[in-house]
Formats: sequence, C-alpha cells, structure tokens
Amino acid sequence: MTDAAKLTPVEGIKARSNFLRGSLLESLADSATGTLAEDDTQLSKFHGFYQQDDRDVRDERRRQMLEPDHQFMIRARVPGGICTPDQWLAMDAIAAEHANGTIRLTTRQAFQLHGVVKRRLKSTIKAINDSLLDTIAACGDVNRNVMSTVLPEQSALHQRVFDDAAAVSQHLTPNTHAYHEIWLDGEKLTGEQAAQEHEPIYGATYLPRKFKMAFAIPPRNDVDLFAHDLSFIAIVENGELQGYNVAVGGGMGVTHGDPKTYPRLATVVGFCKPEHVLKVAETIVKIQRDFGDRTERKHARLKYTLDDQGEEWLHEQLVHRMGFSLSMARDYHFTHTGDRLGWQQTDDGLWHLGLFIENGRVKDQTSDQSGSKQLTGLREIAKVLKGEFRLTPNQNLVIAKVAAADRAGIDQIVAQHGLDSWNRLSPIRENALACVGFPTCGLAMAESERYLPELIGRIETLLEKHGLLQQAITIRMTGCPNGCARPYLSEIGLVGKGPGLYNLHLGAAFNGTRLNSLFRESVQEAEILQILDPLFAEYAAGRADQEHFGDYLFRQGLLSNSTHSTTPQSLSTPLNRLQHE
Amino acid sequence: MFQALRSDNSPFTEQQIEQLKSSLVSLDAAQSAWLSGYIAGCLSSTNEANLPSAAAAAEPSAQQKFHVFYASQTGTGEAIAAELASQLQQAGWSVELQSMGSVRPAQLKKLQHVAVVISTHGEGDPPDDAIDWFDYLQSPRAPRLESLNFTVLALGDRSYEKYCEAGRQLETLLLATGAKIYSERVECDLDYASNAGQWSGQVLGYAHKQQPQQQPQQQPQQQAQQQPPQKPLTDSLAKRGAAQHLSVVPSIEEWTRVKPFKATLERVQKITALESDKHVYHLELSLADSGIEYQPGDSLGVWANNNHEIVTAILTRLNIAADAEIEIDGHVHNAHEVLVRHREITRLSADTVLAYAAVAGQSELQQRFEALESAARRDFIEQRQFIDLVEEYPLADGSVVSLEELADLLRPLASRSYSIASSRAEVDEEVHLTVGTLFSNAIGTERKGVASAFLNHHLQAGDEVGVFLEPNRRFRLPENRQTPIILIAAGTGIAPYRAFLQQLAQEEANTPVWLIFGNPHLRSDFLYQREWLEWREKGLLQHIDCAFSRDQDEKVYVQHIVRQQGERLNQWLQSGAQIYLCGGLAMGKEVELAVQEVLAEQRGLDADEAKEQLAELRRQGRILKDLY
Ligand code: SRM
Ligand SMILES: Cc1cc2nc3c(=O)[nH]c(=O)nc-3n(C[C@H](O)[C@H](O)[C@H](O)COP(=O)(O)OP(=O)(O)OC[C@H]3O[C@@H](n4cnc5c(N)ncnc54)[C@H](O)[C@@H]3O)c2cc1C
Ligand SMILES: Cc1cc2nc3c(=O)[nH]c(=O)nc-3n(C[C@H](O)[C@H](O)[C@H](O)COP(=O)(O)O)c2cc1C
Ligand code: SF4
Repeated sequence: MTDAAKLTPVEGIKARSNFLRGSLLESLADSATGTLAEDDTQLSKFHGFYQQDDRDVRDERRRQMLEPDHQFMIRARVPGGICTPDQWLAMDAIAAEHANGTIRLTTRQAFQLHGVVKRRLKSTIKAINDSLLDTIAACGDVNRNVMSTVLPEQSALHQRVFDDAAAVSQHLTPNTHAYHEIWLDGEKLTGEQAAQEHEPIYGATYLPRKFKMAFAIPPRNDVDLFAHDLSFIAIVENGELQGYNVAVGGGMGVTHGDPKTYPRLATVVGFCKPEHVLKVAETIVKIQRDFGDRTERKHARLKYTLDDQGEEWLHEQLVHRMGFSLSMARDYHFTHTGDRLGWQQTDDGLWHLGLFIENGRVKDQTSDQSGSKQLTGLREIAKVLKGEFRLTPNQNLVIAKVAAADRAGIDQIVAQHGLDSWNRLSPIRENALACVGFPTCGLAMAESERYLPELIGRIETLLEKHGLLQQAITIRMTGCPNGCARPYLSEIGLVGKGPGLYNLHLGAAFNGTRLNSLFRESVQEAEILQILDPLFAEYAAGRADQEHFGDYLFRQGLLSNSTHSTTPQSLSTPLNRLQHE
Repeated sequence: MFQALRSDNSPFTEQQIEQLKSSLVSLDAAQSAWLSGYIAGCLSSTNEANLPSAAAAAEPSAQQKFHVFYASQTGTGEAIAAELASQLQQAGWSVELQSMGSVRPAQLKKLQHVAVVISTHGEGDPPDDAIDWFDYLQSPRAPRLESLNFTVLALGDRSYEKYCEAGRQLETLLLATGAKIYSERVECDLDYASNAGQWSGQVLGYAHKQQPQQQPQQQPQQQAQQQPPQKPLTDSLAKRGAAQHLSVVPSIEEWTRVKPFKATLERVQKITALESDKHVYHLELSLADSGIEYQPGDSLGVWANNNHEIVTAILTRLNIAADAEIEIDGHVHNAHEVLVRHREITRLSADTVLAYAAVAGQSELQQRFEALESAARRDFIEQRQFIDLVEEYPLADGSVVSLEELADLLRPLASRSYSIASSRAEVDEEVHLTVGTLFSNAIGTERKGVASAFLNHHLQAGDEVGVFLEPNRRFRLPENRQTPIILIAAGTGIAPYRAFLQQLAQEEANTPVWLIFGNPHLRSDFLYQREWLEWREKGLLQHIDCAFSRDQDEKVYVQHIVRQQGERLNQWLQSGAQIYLCGGLAMGKEVELAVQEVLAEQRGLDADEAKEQLAELRRQGRILKDLY
C-alpha cells in the first residue's frame, strides 16, 4: 500500500525478523555487553521486554568507561487483571530472584518487573510462563493486554465480560513459534513447518503500531475506556448483557511541540452483539493493519488513521470485511474513573478488598519507619487467599472473592503490613496516578513515580486550606508526553517537559469523558502551587452541588485562556452523548 | 671503605697501604665489588677448570669462544649479560651472547667457557627462555658435559619465597652433567648492581687466566688497563637504571630507575563501578618533554612513597625519633624520610621477619615463623605488612631497635612496574596506566600496597611521580600485522591490550584480533568496556569472549573460555596466530594448560605430543607473556 522506501526502519526490522526471531539468540549469547543488538531491542518488545538502563548512574558510568547499566523491564500480560494466588506467589518469587525485588502494577492491569539483567532474561520469562502468565505481545506492534472493569456489583456480568476480554486477548495473540523456541526451549521448526509458519491475523510485519483494547461496564469507567484504540462498553438490560457499544480511535500519546500529534478520545461508532465481539475486534485490527501509517510511527496509531480516513470510511470497511454493519450505539452512562478502595460486597455475597498501592509499586519499605511491608503482606495473603487477585487499571490491587468468614484474617494481614492505607487516604491521593519515569524509563524527561507522592502532600495542604481535602480530584503525572498514566484524562494533569519542569493540564471530566487542556507550559512546583491555590479558592466558593473540579473549570470557561486546547473531534461524540443523557 | 686498612691488620706494608688507598678510595661500592670479583676470579685455583685439552685444540674456535647465555623475562639479566659480553670482547675474546631460548641445549656439548645469567619468575620458575634447557637437563637424554666450565648469576627478589630458585636449580642440573663451576654462583636481589658487578669481575678474572692462544699474553691486560673494566659495565647498567650507586650521570633525556622522570598526573579515574569490590583506576600521566618513547607492550617503572601515617606508627612503636638521622648511600636522611622513600614496609621477606624478630627480642615471632612450612610462610609474608608485624609482635620489654638496625632489616624500596595501557600514536606524550589497588588484611586492619595506593588514592591530578621506561621486547605486536593475535587477560592484565588496539586503530591495520577477558562481574568490572565494544563495532576486534566468574553459580574463568572455544582457537593457531597472556601468574599457568588440552583435543594428540607442540609455539615466540 505504501512504497517500501518510505517505511519506518522498524518496519524493515519486523520484515527481516523471520517472525520475531531476529538475532535474539546471538544477542543473548554475547558475553561482552548487557545489551541486545540494536534491531533486537525492537523485536524484544514483541516478546514482552524492553531494554533499559539505570539512568541515575549513566554519567558516572560514562566516566568509568563502562556501558550504561543495562537491564530489562519485563511485562507480563494479565487479561482483565485477574491473577490467581499461585500466580502472584510466582511473580513475587521471580521479582526477588531475577529482578529488583519490586513488583510494578501497571495502568493496564499488567505486571512489570524491572532490573532484570540479560543473562537472567530466559530464566525469568520461562518462570513467568510456568506460572501460566505470559509476556508475549505485552509490548510491541500488536494487541496489548486487554483491560476489563475490575469490580462491578454483578459478579456474573463481570465474569461474562471478562470471558469476552480474555477471548479477544487469546484470539489476537501472535502465532509465531519464535517465542517458544527462544524462551521455552521449544523445538526448532522443521524445514517445511518453518515454510508454513505465518501470522493469520497480523501478517509478517504485524501492526504499524501498538494496539490497545478495553472492556468497560458502566457506570464504572475504571479502564478509562476512551483512551484505547478499540473498546467495548457493556450494554446491560435487567442484568442481561445485550452487547457492546464499540468505541474506536482513543489514545494519549503526544510529542512536545508536534501539533500533528494529540491525545484523542475514542469515538463510539456503534453497537455489536456479544457473539460478534471477536469478529469486530479482528476486523478493526486488520483495518488498522492495512491502513495504519507505516511511514511515520508518531502518526501510526488507529486514532490518526481514523481522523485521516473519517468515520464513514470505517463503516464501509467494516461492512465490506464483515458482511454486516454495526447497529446504532445504545445509551450508556459513566459516573467515575478510578477504583473503589476498601471492602465491597457483590451480589453473589462475596467480599472484595480494594487496596491502595502507591503508583503500583509493590515493595517492602526498607527506609521508612511506618515499615510498610506490602510485598511480604501480599505474599502472606496469597498463601491463604481462596479467591483471586485483580490488578486494577489504576495501579491498585483487589483481593477478590473473599468469603465473609475470611475477611477478618485478611484484615489482620493487611493491617500488619501497612496495606491498610486506603482507609486513611485523602481522595486526591486515592485518585492519583504516576507513570514509572526515572530511573528506568528511557523516555522520561522529568521525575514521575518518585516525585508525585511528595507533590500531592503539598497540594493536600492547599486543599485543606480551602476545605477541599475530602473532595475527590483526579491528578496524574507522567515523565513525558507519551501519557502512560493517561494524564490528559485527569482534572489535574502534569506532563514532564524537563528536569523539575511540567506542562500543567486542567479540566478533564471526572468520569473520563472529556480531555483536559494545557493550562500552562513548563512550570515548576512553586508555580504549580501558585496556580492551583486561587483556582481551588474559586472552586470552593463557586462550585455547584456535587460539581467536580474539572467540570467547574470547564463550565467557567477558565480553560479558554489556555495556550492550547485539544482537537475538537476528540471531544465530539462522548460529550454529545453526555449532553442528551 | 679502605680507611680501616692498616699494616697491623693487613698483610701490606705502610707504603703499599698508601698506594692502595690512593688508588682505591676513588672507587665506589660497585667498582670495588667488581674489582674484588676480578681478583677472586684471577686467583681461583686453575685445576678446578678444565684447561684446553688436545681434543679441544682440534677445533679451537668452538672452545676458545666464550659463551654468555641469559634467560631473562623483563630484560635485567639480558642487560647484565650484554655488558659482560662486551667486557669479554674488550679482553680479546670472541664472545657468543645468546638467549637460552635460541640455543638447542644439545649444543652445550661443544662448549667450554660459559657464563649464565638467569632470573627467577612465577613462583620460583625459570623464565620461558630457559624452559627447554631445564626439560632437557632433567630428562634421561641429559648429556655429559665434562668439558663445560660455567658460572651462574641468579637474579631474584627476596620478597618471593623461592629466592633465585631458577639460578640455583640450573647450577645443580649442570653440575649433575659433570660440568665444572669456575667461580661461585652470585645471587642478586632487586638492587643487583654490586653483586652483578662482583660476578662479572669474577668471570673476567677467570677469562684472564684462560687466554685464547691466538692472542699475545699482555694484550688483554693492557686493554683491561687502558679500559677500566668497571666503566662500560657501570655505564650501561646505569642507563638501565640498575647501578644504584654509580657516579655516572646519564645524558639528560636518558631517564632511568635511578634517575626517573617526574611525570605529572593528569587524570585519575576509577573504572570499576561503585558496587564493585575491585578498585581499579585509570591513570593518565604526562611525559611531555621527557623524550620517553615507549611502545605497546612496554611497562612503566614507578617510584612510590610509603604512607606517612603508617611510617609514623612504625617509628612510634619502635621508639625511634622521626628526626633521627642516618646516612644511606652517602646521603643523610631522617628516619621518617627513610621509611617513606627508601625502604619496603609493605612487602615483607623471610629475612626481614627474622631480622626483626631478632632485634625486637621477639622469640615468639621467630619460633612461630620458623615453625611454618613453606606455603604457610609465604602466606604469612603476603598477608602482613611491616606495621602488622610490629603491631602483632611488639618490641619485647628492654629491647631497643636503632634506626640503623631498622634500615638494615628492611629492604630498599623497589620501584613497581605497570603495563602501559596506551599507544603514543593515539595519546602522543601521555602514558596511561591501569592500576588495581592491592589490599591485604592480615590482622583485621585493611592495608594497601605502597604503589597502587600511592597512585590510586594518594596522588591528585597535578602531582608529580617518578617514572621510567621498562621496555619489554618480548611482548610486542607481531611485526607482520597480518598475523592474527589472541589477547587473553584477567583483571588489570587487559592494560597492554588497550595499547595494542590503540596502535592498530591508528595504523588502520586489519590484524585479526580476539580478546578473551575475565573478571568478577560484567556490570561492574569489564575494564574499558565502552572502548572494546566500540572497537568491535568498527571491526577492529573480531571476537570478544568474557568470563565473568561470579555472574553465575559455577565460576567461569578465561581458561574455561579457551576450552569452550577450542575449535576456533585451533583454527586461529593454524592460521599462524600468536597468543598473548597478561595478568596474574596463576591465570597464565591455567591458560597454558588449557591451550595444551585444546591442542590435544583438536589435533588428536596425547598429552606429551600436545606439551611438545605448546613448547614449539613458545620457541617460535608465539606465546607471549606479561604475567605478575
Ligand atoms: C508501565 C506503564 C506506565 C505505568 O506507570 O503503569 C508504561 C510504561 C511505559 N510506556 Fe506506556 N506505559 C503504560 C501504559 C501506557 C498508556 C496507558 C494505557 O495504555 O491505558 C499509554 C497511553 C495510551 C496510548 O497508548 O495512547 C501509554 C503510552 C505510551 C507511549 C506513547 C504511545 C503513542 O501512541 O504515542 C509510549 C512510547 C511509544 O510507544 O513510542 C510508551 C512507552 C512506554 C515505555 C515502555 C517506555 C519505552 O518505550 O521505552 C514505558 C516503560 C517505563 C518503565 O520503566 O517501566 N507508552 N503507555 C504502563 C504499562 C501498561 C501495560 O501494562 O501495558
Ligand atoms: C611486568 C609487570 C607489569 C605489571 N602491570 C600491572 C598493571 O598493569 N596493573 C597493575 O595493577 N599491576 C601491575 N603489576 C603489578 C604491580 O607491579 C604491583 O606489583 C602491584 O601494583 C602491587 O604493588 P603495590 O606496591 O601496590 O603492593 P605491595 O606494596 O608490593 O604489596 C602490597 C601487599 O600485598 C601483599 N603482597 C605482597 N606480595 C604479594 C603477592 N605476590 N601476592 C599477593 N599479595 C602480595 C603484601 O601484604 C603486601 O604488603 C605489574 C607487575 C609486573 C611485574
Ligand atoms: C612476576 C614475577 C615473579 C617473580 N618471581 C620471583 C621468584 O619466585 N623468586 C625470585 O627470586 N624472584 C622473582 N622475581 C624477581 C625477578 O627475578 C627479578 O625482578 C629479576 O631482576 C628479573 O630479571 P629479568 O628482567 O632478567 O627477568 C619475580 C619477578 C616478577 C616480575
Ligand atoms: S509517560 Fe513517558 S516517562 Fe512515563 S513511563 Fe511513559 S514513556 Fe516513560
């Protein structure tokens, strides 16, 4: 479709890679360096890991004439975030033995391990697979971990939707045998097996870019449904799943100073029956496969394909490829993003405990006196838990399916290990997200995970001053504009620009249906607080009943003076719906 | 030293004594040593040596030649041998000066007048050049050498347990063949000038009695008189920085061990990562205007000072005033200065231990030390520095140690050698070193080596340090740049290879290069990693294989890599490759063993055949070593 000359280098690497094998085996065998060959660092993502280095010691090591402190981040897929106690224990052991001793819960309900060195990659990936989780397609130009609402009241419904999510995840998992060959000691393919190897859905060059999916069960929008390439909104009538509204073309990624890149909310394009979910998902993936821009990675996500080709075109493609069209989207209503912490009961009588894990980093505090030992605590829980763990889309963790009788036991472990912070948290902390950022993320421009908790402390002081401490406000920080913590969907968004410098975004909808807009560029902590202080004051004085901070700023048009506001189409559909609901 | 001569304490008359004094006072230690040796040589009873027999007369050229052999690893012995040869020549002899490595031992049968200079390396091992001779003389094939007259100069270092072992063994082996000693073996510690001088004197004395027939009796004598024999000896030893006490002033650009160049330290940078338990530093020194022209493979001699606090501690414990004065080599120094600049207080020797025990009245120490068997003795010495000794075994009540006694029992401070890690083609007038701090921790207190501590932890950029060149012709890049080279190193042994690669990079040579390196951890201990990777990127390095011993459960060392890569190693050797070994002695031994095994395995040889092929590689100079 596009002429080969203009294709991005990554396209060439994929094409040459022989279904993702590349020279990974040689790279692993190279004893002189902790890195992979350059091309392999692209292919490794499809296998679920990223080459990184500890940026804290980069300069020091350059002076020491040593290569950067190379290490790998491994991501394990957990469809819908559901993980058995055994799987948790496995990850816990792997983190201790092969990684940096922490487990990172991600904003997509997956696990991340950091600090795995090259010679341990194989044993680590093998161990993860032995636990029946996997890492293939956790990253790379394929469909990523599929998200699904963690905890609706109706557990049967949750199971139903989760099954669809898992099925889609399964259906869109790459077919290549390379993963088994390299990591799981799988047999090498014979001559004619190799000749027949193919990717039925993706083809030899996979997708132009990463592809993300989520399933949501209103009124909860914990998955930030509008942030994904393709998402499904469960439509339920008297307890029965009717089908899904299909939303297409969401995404957060932006590049500073490149107006051709923008965050975009997914557009709800129609409705499909449950039995058509796989078909719809596969078809939209294939459309993006064929039409996504393979000449410019910054412009390769489905959101740009959709804006370039238009919604009409998408419908034509769907009819043409599926032989039927989507029906009219049904009404739906989201009330909030984020998680509900603490104990909740579902209609089946079982109990679920939502735990707060600050920025998803599960670790035992060595330093602080409060001595929270979350890693140990969760290990203890995993040993006794009869239910399951659920990783939330917001870096938190649910201890799910606990019989009433077992609650006390869990509560005790929770209290002993400092896992009970949820009942002391200010709502703003509860609703905060920070991406990983320094020291591992190669793209970070400013601190994130290591800094946000500190900043929130100062913001809490302001809120207290204005009597707003009990007000739920979403605040999200990322170390760069890629948007890993979906900062453009938070009422207060802080996007890293440089060391100690952030772009301040304000005014997204609390329920995740409106993007925020850039309020001030390149501000430091002091300025951030100076800007927020008077805004909090106005809000405290002028808010309507139950009105959220973002909605207030939006209503007051306080955002009009912002230097840049998001592109109209990205606001269109969901807002329209909101209005006539 | 002749002032003590009186008619009542000597066989001479007053008048003779006056003459003697007037001619002898001008001589310094080395010169008198030479003279004493010379006289001894002349007087040594002739019947010990085999006078030219009729049989010998048949082929005068062979017998009447004087053969000077040397087996030298770092060149000291070679220099002494060369000097002796030139003196013999001036005495009218036709002289053959040869490395033992270049002479098939079978040829010894023909020889008559032989002088051998041999150093000891490894742990009491002969230098590589001598290995063939030792094998041969120990084997059943060993010949009878009745007509051979020889003497041995054994070079060594008392800090090693087997002092001058190789020289001693060689003498025993030759005696076993029926060969005769014409003058006593002389052993030299690191300050070898006077002993070497005395030995050379002995040889010339002996030579004087064995006048080649074809030469008139007096001619050599005249030569000997016109040409004060000590002059050339002392002169060229001084050039090599050997003769510590000679009055000869080297020409200004001639920097030597005795007259080192003051190099300015430009940069010190630790090059093992923070978490590493190795402390290896990269040092850049300026040789600006020194005229010192080193080549890749050479080493740099460095003079270090001992640590002031430790010196003070020693003096206090021995109740010696820091400003007490003493004369050494004609200069007056105070006690502190002597210990800081002129004496070894970090490396002990058996002599030092026992001498200290004696003066300190430490019978306990003496008993304990003498009770130890050799391995334990070595550990005792290696683990302790003098301060440890003094703290562990303090002065017995009532005993007193004088500064003189202290200065005597401690050996003179020796310079330390460091393989040069740079090529002038790349760094111009700089010289780079790669220095690992040597720690010892005998009695719980951590001590550092004098030179490595001085360079790594004491010197600041801008400071000066005395250095001199130690050429190592035995560790050069191959003349023919097409010859493949296999560079094997552990730890700081990688230093000279950096010099090699810098040189090859500058020449844009396409020499096939294979680096095999070992150290504890990839993350923290791959010295100069960025540069090696860059060179590999550019195609200057064909292969890098690393053994990071502690990165996995089972320990992996360079010798394991050699075995793993046996096939490639054999292919490289078959295409004429040279193998370089640099780093610890133990590593060198292990790798040679591994290479031998590879030869056996890859070429289907039995152990002996493989050993012989390895020996052949050595003879061909294709196994080059810089081990310490
Ligand atoms: C771990 C995680 C953030 C967290 O704090 O949880 C994360 C971490 C990284 N993301 Fe992300 N992203 C994570 C969710 C997201 C999200 C949120 C979401 O998907 O709901 C987004 C925005 C949505 C989107 O995709 O538009 C996101 C948009 C990006 C982008 C920008 C993509 C774009 O279209 O421009 C990059 C950079 C890229 O892909 O070139 C990126 C790249 C990265 C990398 C791998 C940096 C890199 O490419 O070298 C980060 C690894 C940091 C580290 O040291 O761990 N990450 N990333 C999240 C892992 C999710 C998962 O389990 O798969
Ligand atoms: C040709 C050559 C090249 C060299 N190149 C390098 C180089 O490139 N880089 C480098 O770092 N070094 C190199 N060395 C070694 C270097 O010369 C010094 O020996 C080393 O730095 C230790 O010296 P020092 O004065 O610091 O320690 P010393 O003061 O000599 O010894 C310190 C302490 O170590 C203990 N000790 C003494 N001898 C031994 C022994 N044989 N084994 C174990 N412990 C002992 C004793 O406790 C002693 O007190 C080279 C040596 C040679 C001969
Ligand atoms: C690595 C190494 C090991 C040595 N081992 C011994 C030894 O075991 N016994 C000894 O008496 N001298 C030993 N020496 C000291 C040398 O014999 C001494 O430096 C001698 O002057 C070197 O002479 P050369 O340059 O001719 O080889 C060793 C020197 C080095 C560098
Ligand atoms: S947002 Fe940027 S800094 Fe943060 S994790 Fe993603 S890529 Fe890294």
